[in-house]
Amino acid sequence: MDSRIITITSGKGGVGKTTTTANLGTALALQGKKVAVVDADIGLRNLDAVLGLENRIVYDLVDVVEGQCRLRQALIKDKRLPDLYLLPAAQTRDKNAVNSVQMEQLCQQLRQEFDFVVIDSPAGIEQGFRNAIVGADEIIIVANPEMASVRDADRIIGLVEAAGKPEPRLVLNRLRPEMVKRGDMMDVADVLEVLGIDLLGIIPEDEAIIVATNKGEPAVYDKRSRAGRSFVNAALRLLGEEIPLEDVVSEAPSLLEKLRRLVGFGPAPADRRLRSQSS
Amino acid sequence: MGVFEFMVGKKKPTPGEVAKERLKVVLVHDRLKVSPETLNLIKKELIGVLSRRLEVDEELVQINLTREAGYDKLQADIPIKRQRVTFDWDPPAYTPSEEVLRGRINIEDDEGTHD
Repeated sequence: MDSRIITITSGKGGVGKTTTTANLGTALALQGKKVAVVDADIGLRNLDAVLGLENRIVYDLVDVVEGQCRLRQALIKDKRLPDLYLLPAAQTRDKNAVNSVQMEQLCQQLRQEFDFVVIDSPAGIEQGFRNAIVGADEIIIVANPEMASVRDADRIIGLVEAAGKPEPRLVLNRLRPEMVKRGDMMDVADVLEVLGIDLLGIIPEDEAIIVATNKGEPAVYDKRSRAGRSFVNAALRLLGEEIPLEDVVSEAPSLLEKLRRLVGFGPAPADRRLRSQSS
Repeated sequence: MGVFEFMVGKKKPTPGEVAKERLKVVLVHDRLKVSPETLNLIKKELIGVLSRRLEVDEELVQINLTREAGYDKLQADIPIKRQRVTFDWDPPAYTPSEEVLRGRINIEDDEGTHD
């Protein structure tokens, strides 16, 4: 099968790896792909909660690797999408419970079953990170437009290169258009100039992400969420569609639009593709 | 922005621009593993070499590592006071001794032995 294994990583913690994994995975499944999302953050399980599958876990990644269960027993089917599956991380073990060889074998097994395997890497550059990238065909780096995140992303680019993987692509997450306009935050071009890699997506800061996580329902389902729509576009770019990069900064909703939305008038900025999916 | 800039003179860089410039510098240091001490040594050595032919304004010399258009580079801004007309001695082509290369001897000390 012509499947793709994609690892989402960042170096720094808290920049949105898990959110990106959940949203890209869901968006790909919405496009009719058979997708497995894998939580490789062993000991700090979270992807299950973002997808709203936290109380369905019986077996986990470590159980599969240690042969306590079969892969199919550990895979959790999504509530809404029949072609989306989660392989959860173990919560009671640590990052050293799995080694690179086991992880590579697991990836090969998943490759047999799925079109896309999206792996959520732990933060850091230790064994957990190495495990997460060892079986990957492609790497996506998530970064926020701020010093620490971009610096760590640069370090990860170097490590990915050293591991012999193709050049990673960037998801620039949590961009705040108003701050960029004021010159208080680095712009997309600034980050790209510094890092020198290709851009897969620009995701504006969006409160809807927290709401979505609270509900256990990725933002790509929320047609009003700007971040959700940007994640859909990033997923479509992964599929090779030529979707122009959003001009997040100048497209930021004006005060009038915000007011209108507050009152409930005016068109909700829905993504046509998603709309046609649901109708 | 832009239109009235000429009236105010040079604009103060925005926090976003500051972040970008700082990142450029820190990333080159990270990548090349050059410590500030090493950079300082390079600066002293450069001044030492150039001072043999030119009067360098040592106070104003600036040496930075930066990244532009995909290349890491050493950027040196070396103001010169005036051209040196006479030499007390004519130095040979510069070949630093092993001690200088290893940073055991400062260039200044080295120079002091030549008069």
